Amino acid sequence: MTDVKDLLPFGTANILNNDVLSRRSFMGSALALGAGAALGSFTGFSPAKAAVGGDLKIMAWEGFTLENELKAWREKNGVQVDAAIISTQDDVHSKFIGGGAVRLDLAEYSQGFERFYVDELKIVKPIDIAKVPNFTPENIQPQFYQAPTWYFEGEYHAIPWVWGLNALVYNPKMTKPIKSYKDLLAPEMKGKLTFCDDTIATWPMIARLAGFGPKFPNLTKDEMKTAFEGLGPYRDQCRVFASSNGDTISLFASGEIAACFSVWSGTPVETAKRGVETVYAVPEEGAVMWCDAWFMPKTSVNTDTAHAFMNQAISPEVQAAVCKAVTGGSVNKHAPALMDADTKALFNYADLPEVFRKSPLQGQPPRTSDKYATYDEWTQAWADFKSSF
Amino acid sequence: MAADAVDRKKIVGAALAAPTFLFLLVFFLIPTGLLFVYSFWLAKSFALIPALSLDNYTRALSSWGFYALTLSGLKNGFWTAAFSVVLSFPAAYYIVYRTRGNLLFYIILVSWFSSYLVRIYAWRVILGSNGLINTTLIQLGLISQPLEILLFSPFATILTLVHIMLPFTLLLLVSSLRDVKAEYIEAAKDLGASQFEVFRKVILPMSYKGLVGAFMFTFVLAAGDYVTPQFLGGRDGMTTGIMISNQFRSSGNWPFGAAMAFLLLATFLVVYFLFVQLLNLLKLAPGRRFHD
Repeated sequence: MTDVKDLLPFGTANILNNDVLSRRSFMGSALALGAGAALGSFTGFSPAKAAVGGDLKIMAWEGFTLENELKAWREKNGVQVDAAIISTQDDVHSKFIGGGAVRLDLAEYSQGFERFYVDELKIVKPIDIAKVPNFTPENIQPQFYQAPTWYFEGEYHAIPWVWGLNALVYNPKMTKPIKSYKDLLAPEMKGKLTFCDDTIATWPMIARLAGFGPKFPNLTKDEMKTAFEGLGPYRDQCRVFASSNGDTISLFASGEIAACFSVWSGTPVETAKRGVETVYAVPEEGAVMWCDAWFMPKTSVNTDTAHAFMNQAISPEVQAAVCKAVTGGSVNKHAPALMDADTKALFNYADLPEVFRKSPLQGQPPRTSDKYATYDEWTQAWADFKSSF
Repeated sequence: MAADAVDRKKIVGAALAAPTFLFLLVFFLIPTGLLFVYSFWLAKSFALIPALSLDNYTRALSSWGFYALTLSGLKNGFWTAAFSVVLSFPAAYYIVYRTRGNLLFYIILVSWFSSYLVRIYAWRVILGSNGLINTTLIQLGLISQPLEILLFSPFATILTLVHIMLPFTLLLLVSSLRDVKAEYIEAAKDLGASQFEVFRKVILPMSYKGLVGAFMFTFVLAAGDYVTPQFLGGRDGMTTGIMISNQFRSSGNWPFGAAMAFLLLATFLVVYFLFVQLLNLLKLAPGRRFHD
């Protein structure tokens, strides 16, 4: 199973087991789109109906399960989706290690995990791109199509589908507008700042503030150390660290914090639901881009339906709907035309190269390296930073 | 015939106990043994490398962070256990010796019916800048700014942990005090013992097991907890548990995580030993008679 001698990947022997994943049941609800019409609307392709159907086990972030957006498609094709929810990316690969790999037909990974999943854990099944006909250069924004985060060595390992910015979020009633990260060091911000324990959002910005932005994720150990040392004054502004996006929202809602260092740009939508206005800002130092991609684990069984599900997920109508729901950006060129004004205004679709220049899509530190600080070393440095060591 | 009956009782007893023992064997002892073996292995990017190495233990023991976080957890454990036992003992005494029903007992135990996380968030609301206490104090004109010490502090962590653990300690202490019959207390009084002497020479030694059990049970649970400190302890609220969790989830270094877990277990055993020795020193241990 592995070509690395003397190593025993956790659970390798059982990676093709069909253990049933604990899951959250889907609840039928409203807002179904005309998925049948959307299917293949730009290509004329329609997968063989006989092959699509049955149960589909997926794992996705909260709000990204397409529960509402694909309701009509599920009903039309007789697909029953069982969705497990991701709290952190670690939840995904932990399903395949430790001696009991579970069946998952589809799951999401954030950029930066591709090589780890494909080359090291070997848990990814290549995608038959012919079965995802919406994924073409004519439909997909060029910055996402065949990007090395999901396409390498001639194989499509995942299908990118929603992106966004992890940016600085603040409460305008508790602080003046923040235009630079340095504004967070103002005396009046003492005790009102937090860091979210989302390393995908935070680490690239830590590197950028230290002047190593373009080098991230490949910083030497000394550079990483310098970056964390420069973060000390920001830590001194904090009373608490938020354990998750949800915790950040809760802290904003209870008025305990005025700003969060780098967090999901959809945070203002969630705090608004709890009666607290917050805004997300891209300071002069920029923001951090994230992009989620669907991949098929090797334990995927219902692969035809998995392909069809991904194809639907990147169709213009579904993209427009899900971007509104999660305050995200679309990978489909035709989706912005279907968006309401607020959703469309979230990102500058007319000049995506500038968006990428200011907020590049960056990966994760290497799992093993003699030259650069590894993921493990970043994790340790992050824990030490939070503990003020 | 009588011997047959005894044998039959033994067999039935063993059969009834077997599922529990089997469950603990399969789901606790064997995994613990495996984890102990893993702690001497090495790992590279989520892959285990069989070895017989002390690297994980030396790495943990040479990390200042490990000591600091362990100490932080031990402080949480100690103060939580101490406050829980001290607060529970009078309540247990009252329930056992001064009331006929169990109403008070049930009222305290009813807090078990709420979720652990809900209670943590509830305390966040109560102790928060815009929470019940600060708002009340501001409205009464006693303070002009919210008291920041209330939330995101060791105080908040220990207060919440005591709230969570109190029913456990109460249950154990009530159970042990019910073994100290009122007749023993009356006998001590008849022999001239004062109220304090009755408490120190009869009640405390005879409820020794419950006391040690309540303290250690609470201590281990509170010292190992990392959710409450993370949510309520503020930026200095981290404990060893989160370091161990990171190794299993983020870094994929199970052997290092296992080594830290066993070091924490060893620390708990040392604390247990010291606590028992302290009770011996204070002449509060059972099975020994002290005559002044």
